[in-house]
Amino acid sequence: MTNVIQVAILGLLLGGVYALMAAGLTLAFGVMRIVNLAHAAFIIASAYISFFAFEQLGIDPLLSVVFVMPIMFFFGVAVYQVLFRRIEGSAKFGEMTVLLTFGIAIMVEGLLGFVFTGIYRKAQPGYANESFIVDGLFLPEGDILFIPKGQFYASLLSIVLLVGLWAFLRYSQTGYAIRATTQNRDAAEIVGVNVRRVSAISFGLSTALAGASGALMSYLFPFFPFRHWQWVAVLLALVVLGGMGSMKGAVIGALVLGVASSFVVDQIGPTWGPMTFYLALFLILLVRPQGLFGKEVPA
Amino acid sequence: MIEDRAALGPDDSAPEPTEDEVQRPPGPARYRWYVLAAVVVALLALPLFRPVISSYNYVLTLGALILMWVAMSSSWNILGGYAGYISLGHSVFMGVGGYVAGVLLYYHGISPFLTALLGGLAAVALGFLAGFITLRTRGPAFIISTIALLFMFLLMTDNFEYLGGAAGLPLPPLPVSQEWLRVPFYYAMLFIAIGAVLTSYRVAHSKFGMGLRAISEDETKAEVAGVPTRLYKISAFAMSAFWVGVAGAIYGYSIAFIRPTVFFTIAISAQMVLMAIIGGKGTVAGPVVGAVLIYAINEMSLVVFGATEFNIVIQGTMLVAVLLFFPLGVVGTLRKMNRLPAFLNWD
Repeated sequence: MTNVIQVAILGLLLGGVYALMAAGLTLAFGVMRIVNLAHAAFIIASAYISFFAFEQLGIDPLLSVVFVMPIMFFFGVAVYQVLFRRIEGSAKFGEMTVLLTFGIAIMVEGLLGFVFTGIYRKAQPGYANESFIVDGLFLPEGDILFIPKGQFYASLLSIVLLVGLWAFLRYSQTGYAIRATTQNRDAAEIVGVNVRRVSAISFGLSTALAGASGALMSYLFPFFPFRHWQWVAVLLALVVLGGMGSMKGAVIGALVLGVASSFVVDQIGPTWGPMTFYLALFLILLVRPQGLFGKEVPA
Repeated sequence: MIEDRAALGPDDSAPEPTEDEVQRPPGPARYRWYVLAAVVVALLALPLFRPVISSYNYVLTLGALILMWVAMSSSWNILGGYAGYISLGHSVFMGVGGYVAGVLLYYHGISPFLTALLGGLAAVALGFLAGFITLRTRGPAFIISTIALLFMFLLMTDNFEYLGGAAGLPLPPLPVSQEWLRVPFYYAMLFIAIGAVLTSYRVAHSKFGMGLRAISEDETKAEVAGVPTRLYKISAFAMSAFWVGVAGAIYGYSIAFIRPTVFFTIAISAQMVLMAIIGGKGTVAGPVVGAVLIYAINEMSLVVFGATEFNIVIQGTMLVAVLLFFPLGVVGTLRKMNRLPAFLNWD
C-alpha cells in the first residue's frame, strides 16, 4: 500500500512538470493553430541557459526562471513575427506550421549540438538529490514515504505558473482577447481584437512556458540536443490525448499519464515509461479521435 | 476551425480546375522518354566502368544511397504529396523491412536479397494497421500520431532481446570478395528506386491517384463527390510503406549491422520529407530531384564542415526557407513559371 502511494506521488510530481510543458504547446495550438514541433527544442535550449547560469554563475535553476522566461518570451515573439506572419492565411496553415516548426526544431537541434556538443548535461543543485521523508500519519508502522525535493519544488513552481497563466487568461484584458481569438479568430477580429498582436503575445507566452520548463528540466532530467524528439513525442501525445488546444485536457492528461507511466516504470521497468504515452495516444485515437476534451476533429 | 475559415473564403464558390489540367505544357512529350532511357542505361552500366572509376566502392555506395533516398522519398510522396497526409514517422517502415530481413538472415540464414520483398510486405501490413488507427484523425493530429508510432517501435526494438535490443544484431557479410561487394547492393537499390518511381508514376496517373489528390485538395468535397476517402487514405499509407520497407531490408544488409537507431530515428523521416518538399511534393519527379539535391548538399557540407552538427543546421534552414519562399519545391515552382523541362514533367 505504501508503495502504491509512493509511486502515485512520484507520478503526480512528474505529471505536474509535464503539464507545464504541455501547456505551452496547447496554448500555441489553441490560439494560433500552430502545432509547434520545436517546443521541446525550445525547452532544451532553455535548459542550456539555466544549466550554464548554474554552472558558471551559481544561479539556482529554479531562480533562473526569472530571466529565462522573458528571454524566451521575446524569442518567441521574434520567431512569430519573422516566420509565422508570412504563412498566415495560407491554405493548409496547420500542415505548414508543422513542417515549419519541424524545420525550426532541426535548426535549433543542430545549433545546440554545434555549440554545446552532444554530451549529457544535468545541473546538480543541492536539493536535486535530497528528499522529504514522511512517516507516521496514516502509514503502517515503520513505513516511510520519500518526496524528492527537486521534483516537489518543480511541481510547485509548475502549479504557480499554471495558476498564473489561468488567472492571466481569465482576468486580464489581453487574456480576454486571447480567449476570444481561441474561440473564433474571425469574430474576434471583427469585434476589434488585434489578432496579430494577440497571436504574437500568445506565441511568446507559449515559448516562455517552454523556458520555465527548460529551467526545471536542467536539473530534473539529463538532456542533450537530440533528446528533444523524445520529449516532443511525449508532449504531443499528451496534447492530442487531452484534445488539441484544450488546456484542461492537457493538464489532466499530463497528471493522469504521469501517474500511469510512474506505475508502468515501477511494475515493468524504467525503459517502458514513455510507452504509456504512445499507447494511450493510440487507444484514444481508436475510441475518441478528437481527444478527451476536444470538440471536433482538428483539421 | 481552419475549415470554417477556409469556407468563408471567396474562392470557394467556383470549382477549381486541378492545376495540371490547366498548366501542362504541350512540350515535346517523346524526348523525355529518351532522356529517361538514357539515365536508366547509364545507371545500369555504371558498375561496368570499374577500371575508369578511381574509388569504385565509394562511388557505388554513394550511388546506392542516392537511389535508396530516391525510392524512399518517392514512396513517402504517395501519402504525403498526393494525399496531403504528412507522415513524420515513415522511417518506421524502413526499420520493419530491415528487421524482418535481418532476423531471417541472422536466425535462419536466408539472404535479404531473397526476403527484401517480404520485408516490404511486412511494412505494408503495418501500414494498413497503423493507417487504420492514425487515419481516424487528420492534419496535425495525424502527423503527431505518426511520430508516436515511430517512437513506439524504437522503444520496442530497444527492449526485445530477440531483436538484439539496443545493441542490435550483427549480420554475416555477403559472401562476395571485398572489391565486388558493393555491386549487388547497388543493383538492388537501382531496382528498388525504379520500382518506387514507377509505382509513384502509376499512382499519379490512376483513378486512385486522382482520388488522393482530391482528398488533398478538400477531403469533405472529395467524400461528397464519391471518393471512398477512408479506403483510399489507408491504401495510400500502406502503399507508401512498401518500397521503404524493401529499401530498409537491403540497407540493413549493406551496413551489416541492424540496430534500432539506424532506422527508428526521426532524422531519417526528416530526410524523406525534406527531399520530397524541396523537390516538389505531389509531383512524380519532385522527390527524385530532391533526393539527388539534398544528398549532394549533405555530402558537400560534410566535406566542407566536417562531421559536425552543422549539416543538420543547413537542412533545417533549407526546409524553413523552402517552405516560406518556394512551397511548391523545385519542380512545382518551375512548372508554375512554365520553365519545367519536359524530362522532369511526369504528372
